[in-house]
Amino acid sequence: MDYSNTQTICPFCGCGCALNLEVVDGEIVGVLPANDHPVGRGSLCIKGWNAHSFVQHEDRLKTPLIREDGDLREASWEEALELVADKLGSIKSEHGPDAVGVLASAKCTNEENYLLQKFSRAVIGTNNVDHCARL
Amino acid sequence: METNEDKQAFEPKVVAFLCNWCSYAGADSAGISRLKSPANILPIRVMCSGRVSPEMILRAFRSGADGVMVLGCHIGDCHYIDANHRTVKRVTLLQNLLGYTGINPDRLVLDWVSSSEGPKFAKVTRKFVEKVRELGPMAEEMGKSLPASKINVLVEEVTG
Amino acid sequence: MIQEIRDLVSEKLKKLDGVVALRKTDQGTAPTLFQEGDDVSQLVLEPRYPVAKTVSKLQKRFKDAKFGVVARGCDTRALVEMVKRHQIDPDRLYIVGMACSEEQAETCYCAEPAPDLDPWPEADLVGDPVPGAPPNPMVAEYENLSREERWDFWNQQFTKCIKCYGCRDICPVCFCDACSLEDPLWVEPGLLVPDFPMYHLIKAMHMTTRCVACRQCETACPAGIPLTVLYDLIRKDVGNLIGYIPGADADSGPPLSLTLADAPIDSELAK
Repeated sequence: MDYSNTQTICPFCGCGCALNLEVVDGEIVGVLPANDHPVGRGSLCIKGWNAHSFVQHEDRLKTPLIREDGDLREASWEEALELVADKLGSIKSEHGPDAVGVLASAKCTNEENYLLQKFSRAVIGTNNVDHCARL
Repeated sequence: METNEDKQAFEPKVVAFLCNWCSYAGADSAGISRLKSPANILPIRVMCSGRVSPEMILRAFRSGADGVMVLGCHIGDCHYIDANHRTVKRVTLLQNLLGYTGINPDRLVLDWVSSSEGPKFAKVTRKFVEKVRELGPMAEEMGKSLPASKINVLVEEVTG
Repeated sequence: MIQEIRDLVSEKLKKLDGVVALRKTDQGTAPTLFQEGDDVSQLVLEPRYPVAKTVSKLQKRFKDAKFGVVARGCDTRALVEMVKRHQIDPDRLYIVGMACSEEQAETCYCAEPAPDLDPWPEADLVGDPVPGAPPNPMVAEYENLSREERWDFWNQQFTKCIKCYGCRDICPVCFCDACSLEDPLWVEPGLLVPDFPMYHLIKAMHMTTRCVACRQCETACPAGIPLTVLYDLIRKDVGNLIGYIPGADADSGPPLSLTLADAPIDSELAK
């Protein structure tokens, strides 16, 4: 029997509202706003209020999946990354770098997004980079 | 400038929730007795006036009704004994709530019409449609915006 | 006062399965379940959280456990309403009532800053009760507005709504598994700003006879909509017409579910 709240930062956008994850016996059951936090000051948007729902969702991906003959199979990170690198390389050499587009995520940190744009510009060689928080 | 002609041209749309046991039969009885009741009424038969949730009334307004009527059995005559006791409380509170948000509470009316009260059905519907006609279209009431007056002062007070 | 509450909680923890109260750590402050052996020096009384909701959640999950809760006046009112709606078992609850200070009452415009502990089988009061603070002056100001001005006011307020459902999620007396506000029949999905009058008036209608004036919906609203102006007016109506003050009387049931004999309303149609 255990109930506590763990304060964390909302994973969804760049605002950085704090929220409390309600945990009962190790299971995340809900979200409370962080009333004493200077960013959100006790408010959340719909995404923050539901930030708990994906954590233990059964549809959540836990390993990379590779599609083979129309079916997805579980794969190791090494294998998956190798495949992605191969394919990106062949697309680039066949159709040119601008045949590749890169979509970044608001759920990543600033640094991760920086790396991603660097990767697309310097490694792949395209300016086709976009981000969902740019809407 | 609104002319008399415009007023005449406006035909109010009124949704009437009629209870199966009393008011719907009352509407029937009005018809059988060839009493004139306005064609503006869109009747919706429900099993009991107590079934009419605030959601249903609000959706009627949202869907373009200029007025909503809830008609049920008289207190004490309810087919489900006391279900309409809830109706009177709910509708009264909703009328007040509409008033608080600036929707004319006269656009929602509750009355009791028993199955034998054909003449009363004709009377209350006629009276209500006339009232709504006077009030004008709901969309107009909701679309109107006032010039910056004390509202803005109040809004500023709230938002700092 | 805080030390008194901490002492009381650690003493009661010997007999209870846990006490719901706010815990302050380096991370921040949030409700937690204190259990025997926990560091009660981390127990604090600010800011406010809907603890009635937490108690209900825990009681439903741990069906035999007996919990305590550190509750303010608004919290006990919410607990009363939840008991009436069978969301909380009063026999499995011990209450440490905390009397709010005059200053706290003023910030909340709270009419009853002291918890009413009479209805509870087991409860202790800590602190000196202060009289109620004057009501929100905005309500009186609002009542002087014409219908058109009221419409304009709410039109401006409700267009700010970002439909976060925070007012519902934070509300200590909202508990339904199936919510009208999530039903596409009543509130059209994917519409921002949410449909007026649907979303806000359904919410307001559901708050009649239930709103305990804790004002947490207003603090949780990211758009700063003064929801309690509307809810205060409804509360007043329910008091005047039905004679019911939510959270005040543990013995009378929710009046909208009762007959006119048990909960009459002042209306010509009720005769």
